[in-house]
Amino acid sequence: MTDSATLQDDGQLAQRIRSGDRAALGEVYDRHASAAMAVALRIVADREGAEDLVHDTFVAIWQKIDRFDPARGSLRSWIVTIVRNRAIDRLRGTRPSIEIGEADERSMLRSGPNPTWDSAMARLGAVQLRAALDELPAEQRQAIELAYFGGRTYREIATMTGVPLGTANGRLRLALARLRELLRQSDVAPVSVTAGDER
Amino acid sequence: MSEMTHSQAEELAGAFALGALDRDEDAAVRAHLADCREAHPELEAALGAGIVMAESLEPVSPSASVRDRLMATIERMPQAKSQPGVEPARDSRRGWLDWLSPRVARPLAVAAVAAVIAVGAWNIGLQSQLGQRDAALRAIASAISGGQAAFRVEGQAGHGYVVETPGEGAALVVTDLADLPPDRIYELWLLNPAGSPVAVGTLASTQDAVAVVQLERDLSGFSIFAVTVEAERVTAPSSDPVILGVLGSS
Repeated sequence: MTDSATLQDDGQLAQRIRSGDRAALGEVYDRHASAAMAVALRIVADREGAEDLVHDTFVAIWQKIDRFDPARGSLRSWIVTIVRNRAIDRLRGTRPSIEIGEADERSMLRSGPNPTWDSAMARLGAVQLRAALDELPAEQRQAIELAYFGGRTYREIATMTGVPLGTANGRLRLALARLRELLRQSDVAPVSVTAGDER
Repeated sequence: MSEMTHSQAEELAGAFALGALDRDEDAAVRAHLADCREAHPELEAALGAGIVMAESLEPVSPSASVRDRLMATIERMPQAKSQPGVEPARDSRRGWLDWLSPRVARPLAVAAVAAVIAVGAWNIGLQSQLGQRDAALRAIASAISGGQAAFRVEGQAGHGYVVETPGEGAALVVTDLADLPPDRIYELWLLNPAGSPVAVGTLASTQDAVAVVQLERDLSGFSIFAVTVEAERVTAPSSDPVILGVLGSS
């Protein structure tokens, strides 16, 4: 969960990093490294490689904190976006750069504040979010996982799954629409969980 | 790709939000969003969904050594800031700082460099001494495998990286190096924050796809790397830089 206090503190930590405070980067690492590691590990499926990506991501954050714009998203989103892009690069056999580049900034546009998702993330933890994803039809869930964790375009997804382009694109649209609806419903009745959220 | 219509952009909302468009389509959606004054309810609703995917994962703690390594790395690593007060070493038609503005880069395919090392097809160009070559290769291999800083350098003569490994110094790795007349050499420079250049090596034209030069100094205390074309090795550059990079900006 990313509550408002965390967001506020992250803003202050980002300011401290901007001023060259290395300890602040350590605090940011302590807060968000496990989320970054989860994404990297999910994508590259190699613990050592994932740890390298997490290391490089936080080095990039140290170097390029000036590029962080809180108006375009939270610090956590920025970190996750950077590590995800690097992990996808590694998956594709392209060496990830330490640079925070155009691709990351393009991604941040995609990751910018959104009331639906932000509200869900403020209220729900990983277990509940996963429960919502589990309620999607299998082909829709597969499509969004191939896109986000596999770095596949909808054209590639169409080829991989043997469906027309329009179907692959449609699955991504429908998946997000359905997920949005599930998370909205959780405003009234939380998505069922079977275990406590450890986040 | 031809101009995208409003409905086409909306139809691609899910793929756009998840980064699942190819480069051209992604650019076309962005161009549409920049120009279109109509509402985009589906796009707006979809943006940010990727973070939900990330947050659905159980957190995984990295090994404690990762934090230690991170803190050790940034201890010696400056943040990428503008470089106020760096002056050209001499008067020139084009100031050294003019080269620091962002340019469209053709990034060095570091993976390809790694592959060259792996297959033993490396040609070190004029760096004929085995010790120098080995030191350069170790520096690059370490940078590639260990996440060391690799500072991008580029210019009209070529592009590449300056990499540094603690205890082993720094090396320039450059690709597509432009040919020089036989009576000219490339001279390599490090500049401190005050703009004073220090010569750190030379390189002649090479037919090699990739050239590597071990720098004669490590990078500590320097903020800019540059390459000029000279008639012979000199103690102060006599021409504009043909390759330039900020150390601290990878």
